[in-house]
Amino acid sequence: MKKFIAFALGTVASIAISASAYAETFKIGLSNGWVGSEWRTQMIDEAKAAAAKWKEKGVDVEVSVQSANVDVPGQIAHIRNFIAEGVNAIIVNPNSPTAFDPIFAQAKEAGILVIATDAEVSSPDAIYVGIDQTAWGAAGAKWLAETLGGKGKVVAINGVAGHPANEMRVAGYRGVFKEHPDIQVVNEVNANWDQAQGQQAMQNVLATYPDINGVVVQDGMAAGAWKSIMDAGKKDQIAATGEIRKDFIDLWIKEKLNSGATVNPPGVMASALNVAVLMLQGKELKEPAKAGQYGNALYLPIPFIDSKNVEEAAKQLEGKPGYYSYTSSLSIEEAEALFK
Amino acid sequence: MAETATIPRPRREGRIRKLLERYPFLPALVIVAALLALNGFFSPASLSYRALTGLLSTYMALILLSIAQTYVVYAGDIDLSAGAILSLVNVAIIVLMERWGGGAGAVLLALAIGLLLGLACGLVNGLVVAALRLQAIVATFATSIFFTGLALYILPVAGTPAPAIFWRTYGGRLFGVPFVFYVLAALIVLITVMSRTRLVTQLLAVGDDQQAAYQSGLPVIPVRIKGYVLCGLFSALAAFCITGDTASGDPLVGGKMTLYSVAAVVLGGSALSGGWGTVVGSLLGALTIGLINSVVFFMGTPSEWQNFVQGLAILVVLMAGVLAGRRARP
Repeated sequence: MKKFIAFALGTVASIAISASAYAETFKIGLSNGWVGSEWRTQMIDEAKAAAAKWKEKGVDVEVSVQSANVDVPGQIAHIRNFIAEGVNAIIVNPNSPTAFDPIFAQAKEAGILVIATDAEVSSPDAIYVGIDQTAWGAAGAKWLAETLGGKGKVVAINGVAGHPANEMRVAGYRGVFKEHPDIQVVNEVNANWDQAQGQQAMQNVLATYPDINGVVVQDGMAAGAWKSIMDAGKKDQIAATGEIRKDFIDLWIKEKLNSGATVNPPGVMASALNVAVLMLQGKELKEPAKAGQYGNALYLPIPFIDSKNVEEAAKQLEGKPGYYSYTSSLSIEEAEALFK
Repeated sequence: MAETATIPRPRREGRIRKLLERYPFLPALVIVAALLALNGFFSPASLSYRALTGLLSTYMALILLSIAQTYVVYAGDIDLSAGAILSLVNVAIIVLMERWGGGAGAVLLALAIGLLLGLACGLVNGLVVAALRLQAIVATFATSIFFTGLALYILPVAGTPAPAIFWRTYGGRLFGVPFVFYVLAALIVLITVMSRTRLVTQLLAVGDDQQAAYQSGLPVIPVRIKGYVLCGLFSALAAFCITGDTASGDPLVGGKMTLYSVAAVVLGGSALSGGWGTVVGSLLGALTIGLINSVVFFMGTPSEWQNFVQGLAILVVLMAGVLAGRRARP
């Protein structure tokens, strides 16, 4: 019995010591409302890895994840569960831009920091840490315009009509093409971020406009579109935007495609987490998050892959599975640089 | 709650059986109690007054949608457009409230129009299913696409805030009690009254044996149409709750809720083949779905497994309900 007590006391003591090894402890809830793509899985894995890195800095960041295919009320329930659990911060990849205003207000009332990532939200009680989808759309168009020397016939293949990110990306490329009067956008079609539909749309486009020079196609459909371009034997005549997945990047190098890919990195949630921890430590942003249409956004830099640096991108992805996306995120130090 | 919305059956031996016959939603009630206890065990905070209020206000829309679904299921029909009706009413009232300035009068008028819209959608469903005799499951799937199309026409992108007076009322308190409890109380009164109406008995009779109902002189087609109209009306009420909880319009918000509403009906002990069931059971079924979602999280399921465990838990509850329910039925 004595031995047992000694053992128990020892255990308690060691737990107490390990608990006090960290200067600070934060609990952060991650909510993801859609699990239809590997990108989302990678997003959560990277956020978890980012949380583990804080241990080296003496900060214990405990993450609690809710990730399932849910409807909007289901994701509101995610937030409620986090409030009940008493987390310090919630990072959410939201299923709706506007539906979370009331619940985010409640979270803020409970003293919880709310950060949206990947898709902007209208709530004044949250901030957005992620990329600017308008700039994302503009970057691909800018690359295409430069590659074509400022003139030619171009087709756009877009995602889901009415989806906020899609509308922003469309506005982005339209803005760029407006500055290049010799670039003619002959058609814009929707392929719903689906590879098969992207391939089909591209086939139709090639049949209707055999003389096009360029294609602006969003990720999630670009691999399909490129397949149609290659099947038609036009890979040397057409420049088109591409994907950041490893299998596409490998194809890109092998077939010497004339492509450029704007990166929407799955690391955005990891970046948001690093920003969240620094905010929980009471630090203040040098420039308050006031960008974007809702005036609550902190935009992250958007990397770009073209034929010049595609080999480097391939190096980062070496040994990863084909569905793995090229990624980037703010390291703790890079995030710290954003704060006073 | 003297809720026995089933055709009278001869009494059988056995106390449990008698109890189950009188209150067919008892298994669902036991399951809800067990899930609440599990939630409390894994996370005591999830049973706080505040958390329970939150649970209710988030799942009130699904509760109403499940009740809507129950009335068509009574008659052996199904409505796969219930979620689309919810989306359509949601965007319609949001847009109307904004157009009319967002005052109290505008809100009430928009709600009245929302109810009419739900009624009209239900009528369309009833006509194509009962009058044109199209298969309910396919016909309402088709009307769901149609209603979603209308919703996208009214509001192409999710957005447009609800007037503060509307969502602050829904999420707020009245005389110190959260508003959603008044909604629940009103709902219980409403479904108790409904369960005593002739229409519900007629729906159950049609669902039990359509041929027999017809031969005994029941107007089967009008009864089924009325079932769909009732479903449309309750879907509109569900839309009011989702608008209150999300304070915005989203033309796709209800899409995923339709099958959950069917699941809630079955979890509540009603038979999809019709003729047997209770709306109180569906209310509990909707809560069961909500509680399963939370318990999966609170027990610390790793994120990769949450979908799997959630589906498994619904299956287990379904089996438990079927086993218990079988005792009560002939």
